[in-house]
Amino acid sequence: MNFRKTPVIRIAFTHLFAKKRQTIVAMLGVTFGIAIFIFQAGLMSGFQSTFIEQTVNTTANIRIFNESNRNEPSILSRIDTLKGQWVVVRNQKPKEEQPRIRNGYQIISMLEKEQEVEGISPFLGTQAIFKLGVAQVSGRVSGVDIVRENVLFNVEDNMTQGTILSLQTIPNGIILGEGLAELLGAKMNDNMTVISPLGVQLEMKVVGINRSGLTEVDKTRAYINLRNAQKLMRVDGSYITDINIKLKDIDRAEELARHYEKKFGYRALDWKEANANIFGIFKIQNMITYLIISSILIVSGFGIFNILMMIIYEKMGDIAILKAIGFKDIDIRKIFLTESLVIGFFGGLLGLLLGFTLQKIIGSIKMDIKGFVSLEYLRFNSSAAFYVFAYFFALLVTAIAGYIPARKASRIDPIEIIRSK
Amino acid sequence: MMENAPIIQTRDLNKYYRGAVDFHALKNINLSVPTGQFAAIVGASGSGKSTLLYVLSTLDTDYEGNIFFDGEDLSRLSKNRQAEIRNEKIGFVFQFHYLLPEFTVLENVSLPALRLGRYSDQEIEARAYEKLRMLGMEEHALKKANKLSGGQQQRVAIARALINDPRILFGDEPTGNLDSKNSAVVFDIFQQLKETLRQTILVVTHDTSFASRTDRIITLHDGEIVSA
Repeated sequence: MNFRKTPVIRIAFTHLFAKKRQTIVAMLGVTFGIAIFIFQAGLMSGFQSTFIEQTVNTTANIRIFNESNRNEPSILSRIDTLKGQWVVVRNQKPKEEQPRIRNGYQIISMLEKEQEVEGISPFLGTQAIFKLGVAQVSGRVSGVDIVRENVLFNVEDNMTQGTILSLQTIPNGIILGEGLAELLGAKMNDNMTVISPLGVQLEMKVVGINRSGLTEVDKTRAYINLRNAQKLMRVDGSYITDINIKLKDIDRAEELARHYEKKFGYRALDWKEANANIFGIFKIQNMITYLIISSILIVSGFGIFNILMMIIYEKMGDIAILKAIGFKDIDIRKIFLTESLVIGFFGGLLGLLLGFTLQKIIGSIKMDIKGFVSLEYLRFNSSAAFYVFAYFFALLVTAIAGYIPARKASRIDPIEIIRSK
Repeated sequence: MMENAPIIQTRDLNKYYRGAVDFHALKNINLSVPTGQFAAIVGASGSGKSTLLYVLSTLDTDYEGNIFFDGEDLSRLSKNRQAEIRNEKIGFVFQFHYLLPEFTVLENVSLPALRLGRYSDQEIEARAYEKLRMLGMEEHALKKANKLSGGQQQRVAIARALINDPRILFGDEPTGNLDSKNSAVVFDIFQQLKETLRQTILVVTHDTSFASRTDRIITLHDGEIVSA
């Protein structure tokens, strides 16, 4: 450090070195603040993106289905000549109808011509009871064209045993969710019974076990052939309840869902709307995380404030003489601002490093969490934005924490100090 | 400018300490200090002699009346400009040395010149050495300020006050903390500065023997000049 060019900076460093221990403590305050920031924000964001990924992998980008029992406005109100008049229809009931999509395969062939669509999978779902020996578990069967379904949800990648193609080659094959298989005690090639709400029984053979990562789904879901599902429901071969769509750009889901809704007259639900409650939870989660992190950094701000006030009280005489020999208020302010920013700068850098290391260490420990989602390792989002933001925030806090003492120092009246000695 | 034109001159200078009861600390001070004079302000404690010094040296700006310093009306200047004047044209020697303890003697002496920024690094160092040599402190230049004795520290403080060749040197009880031997040294330094450099010096002191050997004694009593 060149003293001659920068007396202000040199004085600042001298103060910090004179109070080594307190400086280090104040620095560590910033360091831990930043490290926790990086760690926590990375963990939260990593968890959330894992969850979103797994959810997106199990939720169709757009799902078209027949939302029955919607209370539609009375037909009478559509008549033009009755506009502006009271129309009273009591006890209006929706027409009793099956929740099927009429002309489902026609809609599919229309969708296949759409540019934005990457994959389409017809779907027929129903409640069912799975029976294996004495074990009985209720769940849902998903009647699918497994090859089409695979394009949407990467079913094959999630197979822990068997392959999805067996569903095509073995006429009465069934693929169980991992949790469901466990509950039933089912192993590969076991024979079991599936009973539909209509009382239809099908003898099926376990040809695969699947793990989506979402615990709740894996405990209840089984894949069977669309044809077998139709048999369970006692319906014809064109009966489907849902059309699931995968888009090339999932961010356009909302807009296209509205478009398809108009075009086909069925309800089209995009993945964001379908998981709206989860995104709501994430918002609150993020808010709490940032609140905690902010308070840690503010506490470290107090640490900096504290050490600067101590230095100022100790160095009153220095400040007085500097002012007497012609240092301006702003020079004095610079001295103490420099001190706080040096603490913030180095404490922050150390914090970034510590946060990064913590992420790497914790991220390499095998966790095997089976909760809301199942994870082998914690996943961190180490996006540069977090580091930049954390560092910027740390400098901001230290600047504010330094500004108040710096202003106080610059307002010291040298006469008061000189008179009292 | 004439040889003995006043470097500092006051017109109807009054100062009050405001409080429950106002205290009239300086009463109608009309004082003029010509260039090259070595003057002492004396008076009992509480007579306002230090107050007068702080007001004259721009450290205290809460007064009524006018102070003309080197032709400029101080009361019209901004705080920053006053700081610049202190830096460039005023040297201070206080009772306490106020050296920065962690810095070397050389660095302490250089500080006002670094603030001024008029000279190159080499020039500043040369000037600092020159002042230290004049005060017999050259060999201590690279020592830390807190490693010196009281008399030595005061000499370093004088060197610091002189580094920018000030128009006036203010002393506020500069010998107050020193024994008689060191007091004599400081007086001799001031005397020598006056004689060789025609340095204007204004010193507040309660040391009558010190005062009696200066060019002029300004006596204050209850905030009034009773003899000048």
